[in-house]
Amino acid sequence: MNWKTLVLCVAAASPAFGATYILTVAGLGGEPDYEQRFTMLATDTDKILRAGGQTDRIVETLKGADATRAKVEAALNRIASQAKPQDAFVLMMIGHGTFDGTEYKFNLPGPDLSATELAGLLNKIPAGRQLVVDMTSSSGGAASVLKKENRTVITATKSGMEKNATVFARYWVEALRDPAADVDKNETISALEAFQYAEKKTAQFYSEQKRLATEHPQIDDQQRAAAFPLLKFGSASAVVTDPAKRELIAKKDDIENKIDALKYQKSLMAPDDYKKQLTGLLLELARAQEAIDK
Amino acid sequence: MRKTCPTTAFVLLVCAVGAFAQTVERAEALWRAHDYEGANNEFKALVAAHPQNADYRVRWGNLFYERFNATEAGNLYQEALKIDPKNARALLGMAQLLGDNYDAKANDFAAQALESDPKLYQAHELMAKVALEDDNQKKAESEADAALAIQPDAVDAIAVKASIDLLADKESPWVAKIGNRGKGYETIAYFYVINRRYEEGIQFYRKAIAATPDLFSAHSQLGINLMRLGREDEAKKELDLAYENHFRDAATANSLTLIDSYKKFDTFRTPTTVLRLNKKEEDVLRPYFQEEMLRAMATYEKKYKFKLNVPLQIEVYPDHDDFAVRTAGLPGLGGILGVTFNGIIAMDSPSGRPPGSFHWATTMWHEMSHAYVLSLTNERMPRWFTEGLAVHEETAATGHSDWGDRLSPEIIAAIRDKKLLPVADIDRGFVHPTYPSQVIVSYYQAGKICDYISERWGESKLLDIIHEFAKNRPTVDVIRDQLGMEPEAFDKDFLAMIDKETGKTVAGFTEWTKQVRELNQLAKDGKNDEVIAKGRAIEGLYPDYVEAGNVYTFIADACLKKDDKACAIEELGRYSKVGGRDPDTVKKYGKLLADAGRPKEAAAALERLNFIFPQDAELHDRLGNLLLETGDAPGAIVEFQALIAMHPIDVAGSHYNLARAYKAAGRKDQAREEAVSALEAAPNFKPAQKLLLEVTSEGEK
Repeated sequence: MNWKTLVLCVAAASPAFGATYILTVAGLGGEPDYEQRFTMLATDTDKILRAGGQTDRIVETLKGADATRAKVEAALNRIASQAKPQDAFVLMMIGHGTFDGTEYKFNLPGPDLSATELAGLLNKIPAGRQLVVDMTSSSGGAASVLKKENRTVITATKSGMEKNATVFARYWVEALRDPAADVDKNETISALEAFQYAEKKTAQFYSEQKRLATEHPQIDDQQRAAAFPLLKFGSASAVVTDPAKRELIAKKDDIENKIDALKYQKSLMAPDDYKKQLTGLLLELARAQEAIDK
Repeated sequence: MRKTCPTTAFVLLVCAVGAFAQTVERAEALWRAHDYEGANNEFKALVAAHPQNADYRVRWGNLFYERFNATEAGNLYQEALKIDPKNARALLGMAQLLGDNYDAKANDFAAQALESDPKLYQAHELMAKVALEDDNQKKAESEADAALAIQPDAVDAIAVKASIDLLADKESPWVAKIGNRGKGYETIAYFYVINRRYEEGIQFYRKAIAATPDLFSAHSQLGINLMRLGREDEAKKELDLAYENHFRDAATANSLTLIDSYKKFDTFRTPTTVLRLNKKEEDVLRPYFQEEMLRAMATYEKKYKFKLNVPLQIEVYPDHDDFAVRTAGLPGLGGILGVTFNGIIAMDSPSGRPPGSFHWATTMWHEMSHAYVLSLTNERMPRWFTEGLAVHEETAATGHSDWGDRLSPEIIAAIRDKKLLPVADIDRGFVHPTYPSQVIVSYYQAGKICDYISERWGESKLLDIIHEFAKNRPTVDVIRDQLGMEPEAFDKDFLAMIDKETGKTVAGFTEWTKQVRELNQLAKDGKNDEVIAKGRAIEGLYPDYVEAGNVYTFIADACLKKDDKACAIEELGRYSKVGGRDPDTVKKYGKLLADAGRPKEAAAALERLNFIFPQDAELHDRLGNLLLETGDAPGAIVEFQALIAMHPIDVAGSHYNLARAYKAAGRKDQAREEAVSALEAAPNFKPAQKLLLEVTSEGEK
């Protein structure tokens, strides 16, 4: 089964999505340049997430002196008390992290927050779908501790031993505002699309600068990330709820399934034959969409 | 050793001498038998037993020198000199090591060696070679004569005398005196090669091998020079032969590795061009390189009134180390970006260097000037004029004043310290630099001399000079005849021009440096008005400085912080015009122009980046859209094709944009294909669906 089919299945099987709680934390910079950079990334993220005034998105951002362990704990406890199983929860961590070979710590003004402590706080949140994006140095050291069945964990580094300051966060935030990140053009940027965008740009950064890559972003479950909508724009799902066009939508879904099946067969087919069949199906799909949009 | 000898002082001495003879003989016998490890162990034991014996260290150093370990050889020579500062062989060893690296200090060590041992004819030979490398024939001749006076059969001295004649296109009686000593022919070949007369060099390497078949250094050099001229099969055979016979210096091993790596390249041929590109970047680079190649060829054919009789080949290396193998062992190549071997140009790829640090099109035009001029003159051109002309063409022939190199702090320092060389001696600055940046300074000076000649005597005078040099005439004669003045008078006038052009910058450089530091602090403190005022006051002092921490960027950033976009546009316009190349800064300038409703100027700003760092998906995306917006559909097609070749994140969007460009260019079939590609990646991409329907004929619908 390819991603597209899977996403459709997940979407079809899920009840109406609830609210999405999003907490962004920019940790301790340690020096003015980092402080400024982390704060700016958190501010930009906050701005992007609040744009469009979507009421089903509850956004909170902690940065600078406010990003203390006590305030992070309070914010997570608050979400734990408000979120419901049908809700989604996203935690984005920007800054520095450390790893002593055993324990990962997120550097915050005052006492740090360890991965174990963070996992304990996250486990109290009842939201059925969770995403943790730890973009700090050494974040790979937190992955196994944060892992949970209903939680997708993204880290900027592959292990706790990648200790240099990371650039992944810059490109993760860029993914949230760059329409190019929406590769399937469904007017939604999924967690997987944002990850793949940031991962590619991070690799490109090191390659262009002729620097040895000191971070290798990781994701623990691509399927789940593909089905996790991070940011929606446009009128993505308006048509789906229109009963008057159900027949056309069913036809469109049928063509889409045929296209998926054809793409699955691509490597076994003669290129000309594949292209001819694909073009025919895409034209059918385009005409169906045209009729729906009328 | 001592335990086995009687204890009297006399017997000890005899014992020590005996042990020396025995051990050195054994070490050198092992050396001759190619048991280098064994020889090394023998020397090691010998030196451990006799730590105060300088000669043992020199001999051991010679082993390292022959086995391509210059560092260890140098250490041992230095150790020997600490024990015996006047050890002639150690001084000679140092001179050889330095000479191999074209270090001007080689002469000093050779002279000291001669002071210690006036009969050391090899030191005269070395000085003769260094002088000939500098094209100082008079000195080369006298040093060679001095060597021959001590040792009438000195092969390198004979070879230097033969080379002087041969380089002047004269028959030489000295060639016959080499006899069956391949080493002598190898030296002649070397002088041909460093004078870029590769074919003749190859002939003499063959002659060296015919005389001494086991001269594997000649096999290696033959292989390397065949490789330079694109004859890779034979090159590989020669290099393999050298390698298998224990001649494994870095140049041999790396050249073999490079030949193996050619499978990673594809070759694209037209009737007049050959372009060899790495497979991983060929789709992006090819259109830009091919177009510039053709434009440069057309320009040079017209300018030099000359056509190449074989297709011009350009090889583009994404890995700088691969490119460096092509240039190994050649003089005057510090910080080199490209090199020309007859009709073959090897150069760095833009991806081989950090974005913004390399203008590939400048390098291509520079090297192509060499290809034409060296072919036109049958390689009879002094290095300084070849390079100077090529630097001149970077802006003169290309028609782009922002191409080429800027006046750097190193050059400013050289002008300030009066380190520019007289025109008669300028080759020395390329071959045997006496300070670290002298090669770069010499490029600048040679380029400025050509600019000056063009300005004062007209551009056509440069062509006249080319033809004079083609007659193998020395610089001083050509200056006298063609410019009607003595070289010393020319130097005086030229320096006056340099002073007029750079005097303000040179005089104000220290103050400028101080002011830029203050500007940096003002920027950090967020004092935007002061940054703008101070920046504008000092930017005219050193306008060529466009590297990190340049004044233009400080001002533009301050303007933007004040939300004064017009001010930022104005400043970044200056930055671009003077040759600023940082991709992010230029893209920022392009975006400001586009946002200000000036799409044509925005496109022009971004187009500059295609000659600097074309491996930038964002650049092609933005430029393609701007070109499409301004009605240049063919240009947009090129940009979107480059974007797709870069395997962008947004596959659907990229194919859709290309489809739009094809549609705008009236190429419906290709537009349809691209729309299908877009929809294959994202079947529900509505704009692509709409476009597919638009470019599909009614019947098909």
